[in-house]
Amino acid sequence: MNDILTSRERFGLLVIDEKPDRCNIMPLITSHAATVKGMKVRDYYTNGENMARAQIAAIDKYEHDAISIFSEVGIIAEAMGSEFEYPENDLPIQRTPALEKKDIEEIKIPSPTCDARLPVYLEAIEYAYDALGDRVPILTYIPAPFTTAMMLSDPNKFLIQTIKESSRVESIVDRSLAAAIELCYHVIDAGGLPIIVDPLASSSVVSPKTYRQYALPSERKLVDFLHRYDLDVILHICGDTSPILDVLPQTHADLISIDRVNMQQAIDKLSSAVRIIGNYDTSRLAFSTPDDIKAEVRNMVEGALHAKQGYIAATGCEVPIKAPEENVMAFVDSVKEVGWYWV
Amino acid sequence: MNLIGYACSYIPVEILSATGLNPYRLLHGDIDLSKKGERFVRVDACPMVKSNLAYVIENQEKFAALIGSTGCDMSRRMFDILSEHTKIPVYVVNVPRTDNPAIYNDEIDWFVKQLEHFTHRKFFDETVKNEISKWEAMRTKLRCTDKKRADHPSLISTADFHKLMTSYHKGALTDEIIQNQDPTDKPRVYLLGSAITYEANHILQLIEEKLRIVGDFNCGLSRPLGISIQEQSIDGIKKAYYDQPPCVYKRPHQRYYDFIRGETIRLGCVGIIAWTLDYCDVHEFELQKIENVFNLPVLRIRSDFSFQGLSQLKTRIEAFAEMLCTRI
Amino acid sequence: MYQDLTPEKIGLKEWSKQFRMVGDSEIKEFKYYNNDEWGIYLSPPATFMVYGTRQLKKLKFDNSLAALRLWGFTFNESERLFRARQSGKRIIAAMGDLGTVPVIAMAFPDCIPFYPDCTWWTPFFNESTVLLDKASELGTPEASCFVRSTLAAFHKMAYFPKPDIMFASTGASCDDYSCIMQMAEEMGYELNWLEIPFRRQHRSFHMSEEHAVTDSGFKYPKRFETYLVNEYKRVWRKMEALTGTGDLKKLNASIEKNNRVRRLVNDIKDLTQTADVAPFPALEMMVIEFGNLYGYADIDEWLDILKMIKDTVADRVEKGIGILPSDAVPLAWVTPTADPLLLNIVEDLGGRVVATEYVINQALTIIEEDIEPFQALARSFMNASLIGSTEERVRQIAGSVDSGKIAGVIITNMLGCSHCAMETRLIEEKLKNVPVLAIDVPAPLGITEQLKTRITAFIEMLR
Repeated sequence: MNDILTSRERFGLLVIDEKPDRCNIMPLITSHAATVKGMKVRDYYTNGENMARAQIAAIDKYEHDAISIFSEVGIIAEAMGSEFEYPENDLPIQRTPALEKKDIEEIKIPSPTCDARLPVYLEAIEYAYDALGDRVPILTYIPAPFTTAMMLSDPNKFLIQTIKESSRVESIVDRSLAAAIELCYHVIDAGGLPIIVDPLASSSVVSPKTYRQYALPSERKLVDFLHRYDLDVILHICGDTSPILDVLPQTHADLISIDRVNMQQAIDKLSSAVRIIGNYDTSRLAFSTPDDIKAEVRNMVEGALHAKQGYIAATGCEVPIKAPEENVMAFVDSVKEVGWYWV
Repeated sequence: MNLIGYACSYIPVEILSATGLNPYRLLHGDIDLSKKGERFVRVDACPMVKSNLAYVIENQEKFAALIGSTGCDMSRRMFDILSEHTKIPVYVVNVPRTDNPAIYNDEIDWFVKQLEHFTHRKFFDETVKNEISKWEAMRTKLRCTDKKRADHPSLISTADFHKLMTSYHKGALTDEIIQNQDPTDKPRVYLLGSAITYEANHILQLIEEKLRIVGDFNCGLSRPLGISIQEQSIDGIKKAYYDQPPCVYKRPHQRYYDFIRGETIRLGCVGIIAWTLDYCDVHEFELQKIENVFNLPVLRIRSDFSFQGLSQLKTRIEAFAEMLCTRI
Repeated sequence: MYQDLTPEKIGLKEWSKQFRMVGDSEIKEFKYYNNDEWGIYLSPPATFMVYGTRQLKKLKFDNSLAALRLWGFTFNESERLFRARQSGKRIIAAMGDLGTVPVIAMAFPDCIPFYPDCTWWTPFFNESTVLLDKASELGTPEASCFVRSTLAAFHKMAYFPKPDIMFASTGASCDDYSCIMQMAEEMGYELNWLEIPFRRQHRSFHMSEEHAVTDSGFKYPKRFETYLVNEYKRVWRKMEALTGTGDLKKLNASIEKNNRVRRLVNDIKDLTQTADVAPFPALEMMVIEFGNLYGYADIDEWLDILKMIKDTVADRVEKGIGILPSDAVPLAWVTPTADPLLLNIVEDLGGRVVATEYVINQALTIIEEDIEPFQALARSFMNASLIGSTEERVRQIAGSVDSGKIAGVIITNMLGCSHCAMETRLIEEKLKNVPVLAIDVPAPLGITEQLKTRITAFIEMLR
């Protein structure tokens, strides 16, 4: 079947509880777009126009349903003082966390228009919005406060502080929340729909207790802030979130993107409250074959398509930078074969 | 000043003729007139409307009255402009687009009274009967000619037929018949769409160099021949005019398509020529449907009456004819 | 509690900053269908821009909370219609008549009328050719009115839900509308066609027949009322069949409610157009006028918004403050622009709109409440802008010209629009006592510097 709706129209129907022509397809194609464009990864994440052009090239190639303005989760932490290296063909690598040099009170709320690479994001949103904003949603990944807080710190120290120095962790998270909100103001004004990503809040990284104590309240505050704008908020947490599935609706997010979680379990626990996004194993995109991918994606979509509040077919995590393009194409094609609501 | 101008197939010529004036259908379509018409309307108005505007304004001394209808929006509004730019009395009849004979009947009653008042003469039953007889006789004669056009092989070209219909539309009733028959085995096509204007004969000739138009549904050609008055009275006129094969602007217009489908089958047409004028919404909107529903090849011809694209059009007609020949 | 700032027109980013001062309680206070879960609509322009209404990046808006409410409510309409359907309400599509059928539909419980025709603004607000391209694919001519985007919306079913019943008016109407409606019918939508008679002007040489006169002073054959009454009764019967109910008292109540809307709008227009300093922008005023057609699918909430706007405008008038310089050149605007940005541009370049003829005169006049309701509706519709002569259409504008209130007239034309093609020159002639600028509204994103220069020169010349 041929598409009847644009990606913009399709997503618009989903978020008002209407079934679109077919399910939205939003594999997390972020820095992989640089590969599609034949661009060095560093050129992608240090130049907004490049990032947008790469994203547009990916849309042209795969015909999926969202632009994803994103490179890595350290972007707010960097603007708050953490230092990163920029390898030519890989994502930035953290060198020195900000809190190794300064105390939390000394860290200012960054200005998205001038600090570090935040302007790169804004430029990318503006460019992509001007080019495709009438037909494709411009998703812009906002590192959640908990993740930014950890990126401001030495991770080991931070994890110990979550147990022993809760007030310090809370103040770092609060500062990170303020920075995230400031970034959101600008992202929204540029035309991007913020999607909150909190990979370091995953149960693969922290305990459910730590998640409930620090990450969840800050996620909720960020979601509530975005709800003031009547925006539909996506929360993505990589890795295993099975132990915290029950509490995810307490974030107030409207769409929850899952990774290493049994989809049926997620549907059982979440689908009456939120729309579910997920969760194809990205390692399969890197190492499997198109035929296998098609079969697996078909199974995934058939199982999730009729989730009560709606479903978006996606990968569980970012599409690997060097994933074979035919594999990504197989993912998209497979959803387009079986993901129809209008027949 | 002996003409009574009118612009719609739903205006009964018998009533116009009962005034003692000569009914003259406003069917001008000429690039020079059209350009002149742009003094009064925008360039994106229908070129026939523009031509008619210019023709009437330039020849206003010939017209005693003008009769409009609500047929299409631009045509109806043309009379607004003529009211402003001439002193010719204008009457606009509501011709309903929906199936609403009561409105049509009331409006014809109103129209008759207006013309009686205007001409200071009563349209007695006898007058009406005479007019009906006169025009029916003409239409009968034209139907005979039309039948020859539709024969296998077709004996008369539509270009020649158009000349006769032009006489009819100009109210110049003559006993002229077409003497020179021109039998042909060229591919038989049906013509539909916007009006074929008085000045468009060369287009018909061009088409018929390679094709033979054996039937049509165009103002300016055979549309009046679908009117057959059974009862010789005003009521008979109303019924016959209302029940004529419906104009494309009727809503819904399924009957229009049913009629044409029947005609293309009856006439053994192998293709359709869809003639549209620039900015003629009512017909332009139908083009895709025409291509979809009749299951016949369609050649679209769009015109603003200029001669600029004629050589290209000739090539397109030749290609269309060749394609039809391979299908026969 | 949010306090309005000094009146001015502000852009999207400024509104986002101001929105930080709007309290959560105020956001929650305003909701459509009185629904707490999904009925909240008070959002800054940025929200709707994020969802694809791209022109909001360029437009300037009034900075009052009332205006914010207006924009939030109107941009929320598409969602509102889907929510209406989800919550068991019936969706009634009225097309072509612009103002009367919805009054009947509102007399039935949980029936939400709307105009699919209004999709003609969407390509411009979205700065997008998505709908126009799809319309072309579906067979509409490219040289036809922008209303063809409505057909694409019918095809996509993403801009409004499939209506439960549809009423399409034809007759003395634009050909483009009529053709679009016909094509929608062929897509499988079941239409109920209504006949609109041409309001034939009485001429001196016409033999007299019984005539009546509308509020706007248009004389028409009395029997035309009967035609419309019969059509409206047919609408009523269809609605009865759809809903299983039918209480004529509710028709009277609907008329009263719609009149409340119309009176409020008339008051706001009067205040705005006669104040020394323009208290409210032309763009918002156009949105307000068009709200008379159907209350943007929640007439109760719309009434409340209008009251708030009226209070804001009245307050500004009393204080002698507004959003344009006091020397802005007073203009009349004839035919609504499909591209809202033009209204902004004209104001930015020194113009001020003090009179309008937006082809919806029938929706601006008060419906009589002391006569039989169907007759009242018929009589109100006989005021319609497009069913009569051009001279009648611009009569009120001409009156304002003669009284010196208007320095110039702007006419916006849409390419391929049947009445624009035929009327513009005549309007120019009818308004010969005042300079007229006719603007061809270009396709989305088509406003050029050249066009702005023409507008600048026009306003400078008037000045």
